[in-house]
Amino acid sequence: MKGLNFQKSSSHPLALMDARVKLVAALCLLVMVVSSKSILFPLVAAGLSLLLCLTLKVRLKTLLIRFSEPLFIAAVVMLLKSFSGSTPLWSLHTPFIDIAIYKEGAMEGLRLASRITGGVAVVAAVGFSTGFTDILAALSWLRMPREITEIALFAWRYLFVLADDAQVIHSAQKNRLGYVGIRRSFRSIGTLCGALVIKAFDASQTMTTSMVQRGYDGNMPFLKHRPIRSVEFFPALFVVMLMGVLWAI
Amino acid sequence: MTRTTLTIVLLAIAAPAHAMHISEGILPLPWAALWFLVAAPFVIYGCRELRRLSQDDLAIKPLVGLLAAVVFIISCMPIPVPTAGTCSHPCGTAIPAILIGPFVSVVISTVALLIQALVMAHGGLSTLGADIVSMGVVGSFTGYGVFKGLRRGGASLGMAAFFAGLFADWATYATTAAILASGIRGSDPFLPLFTKIVIAFVPTQLPLGILEGALTAGMVTLLARKRPDLLAKMGLITKGDSYERA
Repeated sequence: MKGLNFQKSSSHPLALMDARVKLVAALCLLVMVVSSKSILFPLVAAGLSLLLCLTLKVRLKTLLIRFSEPLFIAAVVMLLKSFSGSTPLWSLHTPFIDIAIYKEGAMEGLRLASRITGGVAVVAAVGFSTGFTDILAALSWLRMPREITEIALFAWRYLFVLADDAQVIHSAQKNRLGYVGIRRSFRSIGTLCGALVIKAFDASQTMTTSMVQRGYDGNMPFLKHRPIRSVEFFPALFVVMLMGVLWAI
Repeated sequence: MTRTTLTIVLLAIAAPAHAMHISEGILPLPWAALWFLVAAPFVIYGCRELRRLSQDDLAIKPLVGLLAAVVFIISCMPIPVPTAGTCSHPCGTAIPAILIGPFVSVVISTVALLIQALVMAHGGLSTLGADIVSMGVVGSFTGYGVFKGLRRGGASLGMAAFFAGLFADWATYATTAAILASGIRGSDPFLPLFTKIVIAFVPTQLPLGILEGALTAGMVTLLARKRPDLLAKMGLITKGDSYERA
């Protein structure tokens, strides 16, 4: 949950850019990364995106937390793939087990790992430079179903409150030895989830009452988008086209 | 011999269960697009169902939003798995599926996955369709089906919820393994890679499935004891039913 709290640098040109432009450009880059046949292109996209993240003053620790899961998965996928192929690169023979790494599998694994790194880095650059509500507004502009963006707004609004509640309950349970032994741990974690659901029910009732008093009729109004400025659009188009040329090469 | 070797190696690396999210960039474009197409009808129908429900009750959308937040928190909850020596995360999709039905649960999963993809790099935008299918569609429908089936068969509320959580978790991971194997196999045959991925999931997922069952059962039991009115509102028990009778 720590990664949720990053405050974007408001003076950075990328942070000031319209969320719709950033999102469309990122989706184009993502398609290129995912459809890339080479190992190099996704790594170039990853390098540029990480550079952008660093200029956004994202701390290295935050980046490492963000990349820890995808990089682990990339490593597992590389390992899984490297056991298949026909040209042995390395082998280990013991009386009990034989392990062999094959060239074809290792190369395929590397390609997958580079795609994972590239894809995660591109999305991270958008995530670190754009507020979540701005991304939702941009997704709404891109015709994402209204229900999804509305539910996401409600969820985002109460996420931190519920996470804090969960933390408080968890700490109290731990202090009362609620996680000593498997049976007690199971019971405690079930109680924690039940308590969160009850809190969610109650909070939704309170929220609805206060929203109805302010004129809520079942639909959440999104702010009207301002026109996209050419000073935002053309640099993004240039970057996408440049990357498109690199992708084609 | 090779199969035994692989099994030993894969048990040693024991993929952590937050791998329930298929990572960004892992699926080739045609496969990523295919899973979006598979997920789309469920998401669209879920949205229509939600719109219909919210016309009768204005509190439904805020409630669904908050349940999405709960699912998000549950699926970010690190839980130590002693058999694998790693931390894992439950899916949490059986809970909304039992409470408000599988289609709205797909919408809830979509929202939780979208937030995780955008702000935590758990899952991804290119793999959102695949993640919705494994966690949202398969997880929700399995949980809901098992719960309803067992309740019809006379199982208690807690027992039905336990197996709903257990099978929803295992079904999610089996689907994730199938999606991963079909997406990354390249020219290799499907079945051996699928087996390898399933073996990699086993050390974390077998105990985590049991934990997810306990978590779901604990949640439903607590609601039945403390707030039976909420379960009655969701149609899980009839008004006036006590916890013991349920």
